[in-house]
Amino acid sequence: MELSAYAQGGCRLLGDPRRLSRRAYAALLRAAFRGVLQPHGGVADPELSDVDPAVLKQCHAAAAACILEAGRQRADRAALSACLEECKLDRERIEQFCTEYQKNREALEELLGSIGRAPPHVTDVSWRLAYRIQTHELHRAYQPTYLLTLSTENSDTGAQPDLSFSCTMEQLQAGGKGRICCATLLVMVFIEVVK
Amino acid sequence: LVLAVAELGHLAVELLRRGAAPKACEAAARKLNAGVDTVQHGVEGLMYLLTESSKLMISEMDFQDSIHVLGFSDELNKLLLQLYLDNRKEIRSILGELAPKLPSYHSLEWRLDVQLASRSLRQQIKPAVTIKLHLNENEDLTTQVLQTDPSTLLHLIQQLEQALGEMKTNHCRRIARNMK
Repeated sequence: MELSAYAQGGCRLLGDPRRLSRRAYAALLRAAFRGVLQPHGGVADPELSDVDPAVLKQCHAAAAACILEAGRQRADRAALSACLEECKLDRERIEQFCTEYQKNREALEELLGSIGRAPPHVTDVSWRLAYRIQTHELHRAYQPTYLLTLSTENSDTGAQPDLSFSCTMEQLQAGGKGRICCATLLVMVFIEVVK
Repeated sequence: LVLAVAELGHLAVELLRRGAAPKACEAAARKLNAGVDTVQHGVEGLMYLLTESSKLMISEMDFQDSIHVLGFSDELNKLLLQLYLDNRKEIRSILGELAPKLPSYHSLEWRLDVQLASRSLRQQIKPAVTIKLHLNENEDLTTQVLQTDPSTLLHLIQQLEQALGEMKTNHCRRIARNMK
């Protein structure tokens, strides 16, 4: 697990009891995890009011970098400990860091896994069955039609405009559903194999 | 006159099928020894007669009653009726295409992928189904690439099965039966 020189410097400060007391360290750790997982939460904590702002800033950035890199690499406790040892943190502080990391690991990995470009993600389908009776060009034009609306989401830009289209009963049966069913079967087989 | 009308009838149907054909009108005008404008109006008039009758799907009797007011000969009336009966199915199918349409389903391709890693997270096992949906939109074929995960896919299938099931309920069957 590699950290940049700036982050390493910040980590060394993190471990320095002259710059960060035990309580301040614990508060900063909490703030760093909060900052990564709930960005709009804010860093304000009364325990940190005594710390020099420049030091606070570097420590916070270093802690965040360490958290993110550990998450990215799916680091285990040993790997994280080794990295923090290199930055001269004492045993107690390393333990605290690892405990917080374990606690938040799942949320962290979920967050990191969701970053990235992908086609719009289908989240839901709503449907409407209508019976066409007449159009402005054609009377007595009886035909059942389905109107499907796919709700999509894009991790970059949030919700996207829905995709709507019509289809006949035959198309829904043979084309849409049939193919989607094949896809599901394959997915379920795959999941079994991987387990 | 009957032959002329037959010729114009043919042009009218072609007009509906393929759109305006000024050269054909000119040729017909020469053949019939008439002005191009006359031929054009005649064709348009016949087209209107055919589309309105087809649109409303009127019966033979109603059609005959309608054209009776024009005061044509019996032979001509018979010709016009035949023209209507021969072409109405095709005309209705053309008119059906003119309805305001949403994009409609054309076909679907899919692919199962497993994401193993990304820049932001290593060592993943994330199955994803990528779908290429082809839609007909204003006579063009458009393509949308979409993605979904297995649990959402199952949810989508469930919803679509419900949708299909709806057409088979007594309620919908009754409506369909009574409409016809």
